[in-house]
Amino acid sequence: MNAIIITAVWGAVMMFSGIIFKKNDTIRFTAILGLLLLLIGNIMEMRGSRLFDIDVHNMLYFESFGLLFNSIAFGSTLFYFLLSAKDIEKVGTNVGEYFALIFFVLCGVSIISSFNTLLMLFLGIEILSIPLYILTGSDKRDLKSNEASLKYLLMGSFSTGLMLLGIAFLYGASEKGTFFIDDLAIGKAVASPLFIVGLILLMVSMAFKVSAAPFHFWTPDVYDGAPTVFTSFMATIVKAAAFIAFIRLFHDSFNDIKPDWQIFIAIITAATLLIGNLTAVFQQSVKRMLAYSSIAQAGFMLFALLTLNSTSQEGILLYTAAYSIATIGIFAILIKMKDYTFDGFNGLAKHQPVLAAVNTIFLLSLAGIPLTAGFFAKYYMLAAVLQTGKFLWLVIFAILCAAVSVYYYFRVIQAMYFKEGAAQIHETSPTFKALLIIIAIIVILLGIFPQWLIDTLYNINIYG
Amino acid sequence: MSTTHFLFWFLSVLAIFSAIMVVVSKNPVHSVLWLIIVFITISGHYILMNAQFLFIVNLIVYAGAIMVLFLYVIMLMDLNADSEPQKNKWLKIAGVIGGGALLLVLVAALKDADIKNQLAQTGSGQIGLIHNLGMALFNDYVVPFEISSILFLSAMVGAVVIGKK
Repeated sequence: MNAIIITAVWGAVMMFSGIIFKKNDTIRFTAILGLLLLLIGNIMEMRGSRLFDIDVHNMLYFESFGLLFNSIAFGSTLFYFLLSAKDIEKVGTNVGEYFALIFFVLCGVSIISSFNTLLMLFLGIEILSIPLYILTGSDKRDLKSNEASLKYLLMGSFSTGLMLLGIAFLYGASEKGTFFIDDLAIGKAVASPLFIVGLILLMVSMAFKVSAAPFHFWTPDVYDGAPTVFTSFMATIVKAAAFIAFIRLFHDSFNDIKPDWQIFIAIITAATLLIGNLTAVFQQSVKRMLAYSSIAQAGFMLFALLTLNSTSQEGILLYTAAYSIATIGIFAILIKMKDYTFDGFNGLAKHQPVLAAVNTIFLLSLAGIPLTAGFFAKYYMLAAVLQTGKFLWLVIFAILCAAVSVYYYFRVIQAMYFKEGAAQIHETSPTFKALLIIIAIIVILLGIFPQWLIDTLYNINIYG
Repeated sequence: MSTTHFLFWFLSVLAIFSAIMVVVSKNPVHSVLWLIIVFITISGHYILMNAQFLFIVNLIVYAGAIMVLFLYVIMLMDLNADSEPQKNKWLKIAGVIGGGALLLVLVAALKDADIKNQLAQTGSGQIGLIHNLGMALFNDYVVPFEISSILFLSAMVGAVVIGKK
């Protein structure tokens, strides 16, 4: 509850900060201050002290899984603000409003990490999506940004419509008519066709939100068209939050009838891995390659949905943390580049050895090379599937796809280190570099001691 | 066949017919006009279930305000047959197959739906009355009610960001 209220209030504060403060620096500091308060508030809740005592009629349910994810999401956003807040100011004139919209997105994130009814899920998804449509189109002079925004709005509204249809079917199929996700669980009973249709419609709309194939067609265009700073936010924190909602929903409501839907998720996972990785190979622009790579990474995160056991719950938290901070780091460097193609990175290592080195660490982490966080994230996902004893073909397939992904991540590294050229880069400050080094150290530490994060999941005492 | 039954079937058939007309009309303005009829018939269903408040809200907000805005937008866009993009033949076939498959699944699911103990409370239902609706909204559903204000606030901020120069 702390997180929901602080984000909502600070969103309003950021709105007014655009009027009161004339200097962009002040607005930026207000945003970072709000995010620090938010992180502290959420950690306080993890330790059992609630700032607000509100009777939520059981519609929200706060447990360690969701709260720890909140902390990961807010921590990643803090890094994102510290690295890229100056670039947000360059997008347009409404600086305060951009920050306000990001805080509203975070409000949606904290709702969908704690929903207990389908009504709150719907509200959370909408609060998450609508500010994103705006942020995608915030570069109003750029035609591509406008196109991406309209495309995202139309496709997103359509998938929300499917979600509402699914919710209506589930309401009709449940015994007493309920929106509560744990009351929807039908135990060992045979699911009625009405129930299955509702489930599939929900699955389709959530698969759209996490950009799983074959519902991924919007992703490359939207991620490519949106201003790069906002792509960074969309591809990481928002996508991870949608995954958390997906997993919570299926874990609480549909875990009993796993055999009915597991094969669909297995096919979606295989298709996502295949399409994401293969298409990424043929891209010329690093930004577009990262859009496809985010689809490929979503394929790995879908393993947590396929298995829904405790290993996958631990794994998905590690995965979201590893994926979010590494991708935010890569995007922060990409924003500073003048040329977004692979050739634009030629010879970066000679002029900017620090940037090239940290970029290499982030890319290695995304590829899942040992000693980086990405390795254990992928390891936990595959281990979770192996524990179930089924879908061995999918594990082998995923390893092959991960091998393919090494190719396109290493293309960037190859361009930076082994190709001649003069990479054009905007001015970077020493604090920017220091921050990137800190993030790279976190990526490596999580790769050596993943238990730090996972043990936290079991050490949270929300009752104080 | 009582009056309620007769009205129910009349409204339902009219609703489905106008919904189909929304899709098949060539002229977008006609589509909007048919859509208004769909909303009016659905409002009629609300009154059959004794939900007077929902009836009047649906009529004022959807059939009235939103559709008028819709009409304005369509007029401002100045659509006509010349500027309509030609669609690929294969795209049309794929659309028919996809939509048809969804229709098949939905009909199959609804055909076997268990409805014996959940008949509509025509004329006697109390749920849609303003008193009960208010009690539900401000007691059980007060948290989602308040949280939806964040949704509207973010939409408003977005409108300003998009609309301002």
